[in-house]
Amino acid sequence: MRTANVLWLLLVPATMQAQTIDDGATIPRRTLGTGLVYAHESWSQYWEGTLKRDNQNIGTLTTQSVMWTGGYGVTDRLSVMTMLPYVRTNASQGPLHGMDGVQDITLAAKYQLLSTPFTDRGTLRAFVVGAVGIPASNYTPDFLPLSIGLASRQFSGRFTLNFQAHQGWFLNGSVAHTWRANVTLDRPAYYTNGQLYLSNEVAMPDVFDYTVTVGYQRGRLSIPISLSQQRTLGGSDIRRQDMPFVSNRMDFVRVGGQLMYTLPAPTKLGIHLGMSRIVSGRNVGQSTTLTGGVFHTFQF
Amino acid sequence: MRPTLRPFLLAVAVMTAGCDHTITFSEALPPLDAASLDSTAGSWQMIVLSGPTQFTVAAPAAETSAAYSAELAAIKTAQTHLTATQRRVIEYWAGGGVLRWNQILRGLVARFNLPPAPRADGTYPVPDPENPFADPQFPFANPPYAARAYSYVSVAQYEALKAAWYWKYQYHRRSPSKVDTGVLALMPVSDLPAYPSEDAVLSGVTVEMLKALFPAAVEEITQRAAEQRNAALWSGKATASDIAAGLALGKSVAAVFVARAGADGMKNAVGTKAQWQALADTAVAHGEIPWISQESPPRPPMLANFGQVQTWLMTPTDVVTERPPAPPSTGSPQMQQELAEVHRTVEHLSQPQLAIAYKWNDGAATYTPPGHWNDIATEYIRDARMSEVRSARTLALLNMAMLDAAVGCWGVKFLYFNPRPGQLDPTIKTVIGLPNFPSYPSGHSTFSSAAATVLSYVFPSGAPAFDAMRDEASISRLYGGIHYRSDIERGKEHGGRIGGYAVRFGQGDGAN
Repeated sequence: MRTANVLWLLLVPATMQAQTIDDGATIPRRTLGTGLVYAHESWSQYWEGTLKRDNQNIGTLTTQSVMWTGGYGVTDRLSVMTMLPYVRTNASQGPLHGMDGVQDITLAAKYQLLSTPFTDRGTLRAFVVGAVGIPASNYTPDFLPLSIGLASRQFSGRFTLNFQAHQGWFLNGSVAHTWRANVTLDRPAYYTNGQLYLSNEVAMPDVFDYTVTVGYQRGRLSIPISLSQQRTLGGSDIRRQDMPFVSNRMDFVRVGGQLMYTLPAPTKLGIHLGMSRIVSGRNVGQSTTLTGGVFHTFQF
Repeated sequence: MRPTLRPFLLAVAVMTAGCDHTITFSEALPPLDAASLDSTAGSWQMIVLSGPTQFTVAAPAAETSAAYSAELAAIKTAQTHLTATQRRVIEYWAGGGVLRWNQILRGLVARFNLPPAPRADGTYPVPDPENPFADPQFPFANPPYAARAYSYVSVAQYEALKAAWYWKYQYHRRSPSKVDTGVLALMPVSDLPAYPSEDAVLSGVTVEMLKALFPAAVEEITQRAAEQRNAALWSGKATASDIAAGLALGKSVAAVFVARAGADGMKNAVGTKAQWQALADTAVAHGEIPWISQESPPRPPMLANFGQVQTWLMTPTDVVTERPPAPPSTGSPQMQQELAEVHRTVEHLSQPQLAIAYKWNDGAATYTPPGHWNDIATEYIRDARMSEVRSARTLALLNMAMLDAAVGCWGVKFLYFNPRPGQLDPTIKTVIGLPNFPSYPSGHSTFSSAAATVLSYVFPSGAPAFDAMRDEASISRLYGGIHYRSDIERGKEHGGRIGGYAVRFGQGDGAN
């Protein structure tokens, strides 16, 4: 029921020195950007397979996280990024204990393939991104929806196309495919996909996602609005009255908007506020997420 | 290639190499080449049947008869054009029918181990054996139901195989490949007489038991049973008449057990609203705080009358005599101390403790604690290369003990109707699902202690490992936040005594 990869989808636009994976910019050479992002995600309804329901033994499931993020411009065309969230979950009703811990560290490299004037209205850019996610602590994925993550090593390959108009409008499209390594449970058997597996290893289906963003950026202000969709390419539905399982087919469509503002020089501080909502899903909670972040850049 | 791309592409290669989705299974079963024929098994003590001759198996046609020659020819014809699928079926069942059916049964338990969802009005429907395909599906294969299912299948298989062994050594008909060298032996072949076929006996007895226990899975069960008989034929292990005789014997034996299951008290195990209220009233009358469901909406307790279900090796008097003493009073200082221990433990769990809680959780959608012990036993049975009849004996002893443990434990749970830790102290939250029935004593501890006692008897060299697993399974419930220490300690003692009945039966059954 947790929304896998949620922290990968945070959008921080170009003014923030390209600190996200799926935006249309790289960090200028020898520039270091770092920030802290707080996110508050909650849901009181979820999709049990395709059946939307509530659960009085969970009430509202809240996931709070604080994520450290850092990015560095190796060259003007190549940036490297890293992210590390601390996550805490809580159910407002019922007997289940919340969980907390350091989740997965993400290491990513973004390379600008192309940057060219397009018509006389703006600039077209294209990027490829490779990102690796590795669980950074020994948390369990076997207590969903209270688990803090899915504990799978993963690699995603991403392609992003960005058009930035001279007047400030921009359009960004990004697609990615994520491969996920087997997850190891603490138990010797589990049931999913209609069969009992006599193993502690769980095969994780691949994930496909895309994000389309339109926005306006002028001076120190940027306002992106995005629509993103995740599709898990396999896995089973949560059965009637069952608990979720790590390899379930977790799909969702999310809409979100953000407000980014860079404070006047010489502070080099940026702030962002964001909100997103899952509008449809399968084996995920219908969550609303509020985010707030502070960023700082250093020049070398 | 641009130099800057190199580390990036290297990372791609490393990560995709790590994304191989091959799963390592822990229970691979190599072709069964039994360490012993167990040729005397026809005289081993019966449990329910009056004796091996309760059902007569008619004498087979002679190995020299035209009818038998035609059967051999049919095998040879079948073997000339085996498809890859047929070979996979042979390879699968070569692992041993008793263990394969146990794996299939564990899968059925896990599939059917889901509690009914609440209705809109906050009540819960009860799974209906007369309408097994409805919502909720029948059965809800919770731990007591599962313990009963494992035991019925294991005991029925064991009795049927003992009878089969008796008739095998009455008639001494050889295995087809021993009679005719033109018949290939695609499974290990021994000097065990082939008539009646033990594979067909298992197919017949198991299919009938599983149809009664898991009626909604009838299609899959029937298909698997047919595959097992086909594998015996295609592999050259049995002829058509070996199989027909085995199938008939298996089904005859199953009928005895299906009848027993229909009258063993399971039908009344769910209980009635009045009975549930009476349990609470009794606890209050004794000055105790009664158990209350912590689910929302409140769910009736799981199988309140399971303590009255018929046991295998204990008399109803034994069931009462072996019960542990009363739990600490809900108002006592000891209860307060134990409650504080649960709270303290859950709030300061180490990573290994948490892993133990999940290892032994065996909650909804799993094969349950009795299934976990079948999982453990299977690997020992496989490694000991036990014959089919001895494999069945081991699982029968194990699963009779665990059914008796379930009955004994449930009887005590509903005698005292003791609240869970989280009911007495709502700040206690659990890291595993909270079972919806009274606390004292711990079912995991009772099951595990009974199981470890039996397995230590059958596999003495494994005793230290079984004891360690029993202790780990038991204490996992304290780590999970769902049991007091008294529940665990008294449950272990209780389970050990119950396991002793199966050990004593095994010591005198003629199999040693």
